[in-house]
Amino acid sequence: MPFTNSTFARSSLLMLLVGGVVLVAIVLSSFFLARTTQVYFQDVVKLRELRSAAADMQLFLRAAESGQRGFVLTQDAEFLKPYTTASAVIPRLRERLKTSAANLGGMQVPFAELDPLIDDKLAEMQSTVEMVQKGNAVGAIEVIRGAYGRQLMEGITAILGKLLRDMDGRIGTGIDDLNDSASALQWITIGGGLMIILVIGGAILIVGQHVRELQRARSEVEELNAGLEERVNERSEDLIQANREIQRYAYIVSHDLRAPLVNIMGFTSELETMLKSIRTYVLADGTPLSESEVNEARVAVEEDLPEAIAFIRSSTKKMDGLINAILKISRDGRRELKPERIDLGALLEATAASVYHQVSEAGGEVNISVGQARGLITDRFSMEQIFGNLFDNAVKYKHPDRPLNLSVKAMAIGRAGIRIEVADNGRGIAPEDHERVFELFRRSGVQDQQGEGIGLAHVRSLVRNLGGEITVTSTMGGGTTFVIRLPADLSQYVRSNGS
Amino acid sequence: MKAAGKEVTIVMIEDDEGHARLIEKNVRRAGVNNEIVPFTNGNAALDFILGADRSGNSNQDRHLLILLDLNLPDMSGIDILEKVKSNPHSKRLPVVILTTTDDEREIQRCYDLGANVYITKPVDYDSFAHAIRQLGLFFAVMQIPGQ
Repeated sequence: MPFTNSTFARSSLLMLLVGGVVLVAIVLSSFFLARTTQVYFQDVVKLRELRSAAADMQLFLRAAESGQRGFVLTQDAEFLKPYTTASAVIPRLRERLKTSAANLGGMQVPFAELDPLIDDKLAEMQSTVEMVQKGNAVGAIEVIRGAYGRQLMEGITAILGKLLRDMDGRIGTGIDDLNDSASALQWITIGGGLMIILVIGGAILIVGQHVRELQRARSEVEELNAGLEERVNERSEDLIQANREIQRYAYIVSHDLRAPLVNIMGFTSELETMLKSIRTYVLADGTPLSESEVNEARVAVEEDLPEAIAFIRSSTKKMDGLINAILKISRDGRRELKPERIDLGALLEATAASVYHQVSEAGGEVNISVGQARGLITDRFSMEQIFGNLFDNAVKYKHPDRPLNLSVKAMAIGRAGIRIEVADNGRGIAPEDHERVFELFRRSGVQDQQGEGIGLAHVRSLVRNLGGEITVTSTMGGGTTFVIRLPADLSQYVRSNGS
Repeated sequence: MKAAGKEVTIVMIEDDEGHARLIEKNVRRAGVNNEIVPFTNGNAALDFILGADRSGNSNQDRHLLILLDLNLPDMSGIDILEKVKSNPHSKRLPVVILTTTDDEREIQRCYDLGANVYITKPVDYDSFAHAIRQLGLFFAVMQIPGQ
């Protein structure tokens, strides 16, 4: 699996971390920007307060002045009303102006200039109003005409006007700052949102990928499980088959060994019987013998004795032969296999060379075609034995009426296997003997050839040792085809089967 | 041992010549003097019993008793039994299975196929000789069907 759990844990953790950092950054910057906005807003509020205080001051001073002038000109008490109202408000306005200027801290309001001017203006207006009330209206007009009050008022207006312009400028920048910080907050929120969406998308992608990997791994495990079961079944079947064969083998061996044993014991007993008549004759010591007694002794010595000895000897020889055959098969079965790369075509040609002379002499032919199935890693000795036996059999059991036509074809089955067919046009094997020909000491058909019934049993055990299987198809009188299936690489087969 | 007034021929199918000889000796000792025709493989025996064409027509005028071993080099004795018992001309021939096998299923199979007697060859020669002699005595009294 290329996508391991630790990578998944690492990348999802990283995603979580990135998401967390982005979230914290958004919260922090929002908080900071909100604070800044608040500060800007408060500044703007204070500036507006100061501005409105300054504007009010100017307004009320002008109201007081126009009230004073109207009263001086007309001596009408009605005109005095705005003046008295304004003069009552102005001290409070001055306080307000001072407080809001102080609130702004660094704001420099030139109180040192403004305060005396306002004081003087108030005093000038007070004095003219009092002069009119005492009846000296002409004197009061003279005072106004003296332009002193006007000059005072102009000084105040100049200072307050400048203050108002300053305030307007500063409020403008304050609002701009406010706007800037608000839009910054907006952008940061949008950017953060995008980042979070990106992180979540990435996380979903990674989780999806991981889930897919998990699913793939699970299906792989399931597949392996199924394969395992199949392999276990295969092995059990192989074992059952092998067990059955061992039983059959043991049965055949015990039966075939028992037969000569019965002969040996039988003829030994016969020898004992003969001994009686011979003893009667030899140990007669002058006692007259009947004709039948003499005859019996003669027959025993001339016929029975040599026959019994011959049978005992042939039986022991047969037992020896059987034991040797069994030993050979068992030795070949235990021989250590040496897997090596084999040129199948060359091996078949070399093996066929030993029968080639016999075949061509009788007008037959041998065809070998290995096609694509060249590369084969297996045991050379076993292969030579297998095909040597099969070719010998083809020659031995050829059809008496026609020349032998022997063909060997090899083809690959998948990547792991190879199938080799050895086909002849010989006399064939009866259907009931198809399995029997592979049994030890069993032969099929007319017994007109020398043989012990070992060859095919040997071949089957060799093929099985190579991890393969041999089967036969044959029609009586039509020919026989042996099909051998072998693993293409014996060393790999040995590894995976642990044998 | 006669059938319809004629001598019965004993066909002995036994691949081991030593066994064949021992059987013959002991059958003779039981006083059976019928002709014994030995065969060491199944094909030759079938050629004799059913004829080279396996039709069984050759049995028109003979009376046979078959002594059959199950383990033969070229074919199974069971195949021979089956062929003999499925041929209308030879199905009544008495078949005595005389073999080393004492496998229960094998015995059942032979009787299912129509074997008349099944005898397991004892390994011990005294028992072997005894069994064959008993069989010879049995031959002496048994009735063989005429065709």
